[in-house]
Amino acid sequence: MGSIVLSGRQLQRPLSSLCRSCSRRLLPRLSRSYAAVSSQQPDIYDVVCVGGGPAGLSLLTALRSNPTTAGLRVALVEAQDLEKVRSWKLPPDRFSNRCSSLTPASAQFLDNVGAWAHLHRDRVQPYHEMQVWDGVTDARIEFEWTPPAAGKTIAYMTENLNLTSGLLRRIDELGGVTVFNSARVAGISFGEETEDLDLREWPVVHLASGQRLAARLLVGADGANSPVRAFAGIESRGWDYERHGVVATLELEGEGWGGDAMKIAYQRFLPTGPVAMLPLPGNLSTLVWSTTPANAALLKSLSPKDFVALVNAAFRLRPVDLEYMHTISSGQEEELAWRLQHTQFNRRAIPQTVVGVQDGTIASFPLKMRHADTYIGERVALVGDAAHSIHPLAGQGLNQGQGDVESLARTIEFSVSHGQDLGTRMSLESYNSERYGPNHVLLGVCDKLHKIYSAGSGPLVPLRSLGLSAINALGPVKSFFMEQAAGNGIKLF
Amino acid sequence: MKALPPCLRSASSRHGLVQNHALQRRQQLPIATAVLCSTHSKSGRRSFSVLNRPPPNYPGHVPLTGLERAALAVGSGIVSFLDPYRGDMIAALGEATASPYFIERLRRAMLASPTGRRILRDRPRITSSSLNLPRLRSLPARTVGGTYVAWLDREGVSPDTRSSVRFIDDEECAYVMQRYRESHDFYHALTGLPIVREGEVALKAFEFANTLLPMTGLSMLAVATLRPAERRRFFAVYAPWAVRNGLRGDEVINVYWEEEMETDVDALRRRLGIERPPDLREIRKREREERRRVKEGAAAQAVAS
Ligand SMILES: Cc1cc2nc3c(=O)[nH]c(=O)nc-3n(C[C@H](O)[C@H](O)[C@H](O)COP(=O)(O)OP(=O)(O)OC[C@H]3O[C@@H](n4cnc5c(N)ncnc54)[C@H](O)[C@@H]3O)c2cc1C
Repeated sequence: MGSIVLSGRQLQRPLSSLCRSCSRRLLPRLSRSYAAVSSQQPDIYDVVCVGGGPAGLSLLTALRSNPTTAGLRVALVEAQDLEKVRSWKLPPDRFSNRCSSLTPASAQFLDNVGAWAHLHRDRVQPYHEMQVWDGVTDARIEFEWTPPAAGKTIAYMTENLNLTSGLLRRIDELGGVTVFNSARVAGISFGEETEDLDLREWPVVHLASGQRLAARLLVGADGANSPVRAFAGIESRGWDYERHGVVATLELEGEGWGGDAMKIAYQRFLPTGPVAMLPLPGNLSTLVWSTTPANAALLKSLSPKDFVALVNAAFRLRPVDLEYMHTISSGQEEELAWRLQHTQFNRRAIPQTVVGVQDGTIASFPLKMRHADTYIGERVALVGDAAHSIHPLAGQGLNQGQGDVESLARTIEFSVSHGQDLGTRMSLESYNSERYGPNHVLLGVCDKLHKIYSAGSGPLVPLRSLGLSAINALGPVKSFFMEQAAGNGIKLF
Repeated sequence: MKALPPCLRSASSRHGLVQNHALQRRQQLPIATAVLCSTHSKSGRRSFSVLNRPPPNYPGHVPLTGLERAALAVGSGIVSFLDPYRGDMIAALGEATASPYFIERLRRAMLASPTGRRILRDRPRITSSSLNLPRLRSLPARTVGGTYVAWLDREGVSPDTRSSVRFIDDEECAYVMQRYRESHDFYHALTGLPIVREGEVALKAFEFANTLLPMTGLSMLAVATLRPAERRRFFAVYAPWAVRNGLRGDEVINVYWEEEMETDVDALRRRLGIERPPDLREIRKREREERRRVKEGAAAQAVAS
């Protein structure tokens, strides 16, 4: 019987009954019968998820919360200490610098799997308007919902740790996940054939502790340097932008021009990359500034007051002033005071003045564009950053991962309820076809946007301002982009 | 360093007396009177009609409507073409055609350079009283100051012959224009080009390539008024020199002339990447002698035959 259950190829009977009723009952029997070789026998799971970031935790939550898939034997392997995530807590007026904008579609998904209620909701900030403009030509596109939809949420700014700790609490509530905490994956190989088990086509995860986990389906939610992807021999192609994303938690002079009920996200395209300021509760905002590695290093070396001055300058001054202010190691505050007297801007069309930066929140990370050749292999699926890394200019990285997870969970549910082996490439095919195209389009669009807006002069500059102005003038086109940004347009992004 | 109030420091008071005939001659242009530095708005180009002309952005500023600006450009263009010595018209033409794009570009060039930024902060003015001409006369002949004052004396001109900027809306851009205008004589000194028509056109060509201000390009149309021999020489010698040096050299607007008086002029040229053009006066003298020799030769032949 063991060979029937465990070798997917030979499987004839509906899997749902098998894995729910058998695999768990089978294992003790196996280990009892083969006590002599049990040390060589890996633990067997339906789904082994490597990586407990936003993508991995969402997947486990989705599987555990769905009655159809709740019977699967699932394991999580995470190299970091999840205890730190679980006990994450900050005072109400301090915010983590790693924030993501969750689209209503992602929030809806998180609500469906019962995780949304576990987030600290007072730390989640919805926003309702976007202001995007070109720093070289000042062409502007204003994303404001038309009156019928006024007050509609474009996205929710959420600290990544608020999301992951909420997901963990939901997983704890659901139970049933075997968690290998602070456990590094030391290697992945195919299993062996023994008298009762043929694991030659099953990935076996070797932990640094010596434990081994055999997986009917191995999910790589293990980030950009995915060991699972490497094991599956899936190439990930793309390029580095030679840009870093500088993040920080900022204190503004007020809670925004629209008050608490009408929060606004701002993004200005500079020749070095876009700079964005996204609203957090109260008078706080989070900064994401894509810039050259040299500029990022300078920003991190500045005194708080000069850092604040350079951030204010980034939304106000001409590119030539900004360029100069990146060549001096101090004195940005004074330079800003002088240039503000000679620079025109509409105060209410840009973020309120930044007055401070929270201690220890200035950090940077390299920006890449990567796309795996495929998201699936035999008994392997990739989700989140393991499958794709995107330029942060559209704030879509984490949402893409949520979209992947939703689709993969649905695919697994289908296999289980139709009695298919959930690990075979054939069963996984619909996940790949559902997600690959839309992700590819979004990656391409963000990549092109980055390239177009990285030009400080030349033939593209007038064209792109024409582009932004034209979009601004065209209501329907604009609402199309808005719907896309909010993740509820036609499924393109 | 203290940030300056957004007004042209000392533009009207100290140098009010040097505003030349251009100003008095065109008093009929409506000039708003009340000038208050602290109150002028930062907004640059506003639309308005002649009936509700906004207050000036700096002392001496004359806000123009688009139509007036165009008329000014055409009118002053025609006059300066016919008479390139009409400094007032050239000045007006320069202002009418420079804003907003070209003067912005020049300001950008200044803002990109640490020295240019310092000039914009300090806003120095070049006049006979700010320069201390007797001191310059005591400097060695090879210094910038020495060359400049020798050039002034040779040409019989004064630093005070530059009119004030009036038609550029942005107050800082107005200063850039003023600075460009006041630096002009230093360009003569730097290049050694004389103020005769031919030298003026050659220098304009250089300035056009270097500053891209349209007026400097337009004034090159005066090449049409040159004598055929001069025109040939312009295209053979000076135009290539001007384009090569104007484009390749650093932005001359970013030279803090006041600080360079004691610099060796060749060293400054090298620093800016500018070669000295062939001396026009020398060439003209040689050609005059050549012509005389030819004429005398012909006369001698006529006598002999
Ligand atoms: C430094 C940094 C800063 C970022 N800042 C922002 C930001 O401010 N805003 C934003 O929108 N996006 C940001 N991003 C992108 C965003 O974090 C990702 O899009 C998102 O985290 C992807 O989630 P994920 O679950 O797919 O991968 P990850 O969050 O990368 O999770 C992967 C998990 O796998 C684990 N893992 C990896 N290898 C192994 C192994 N061998 N064994 C066991 N476990 C392993 C890791 O410990 C990690 O927990 C940032 C990314 C980085 C790297």
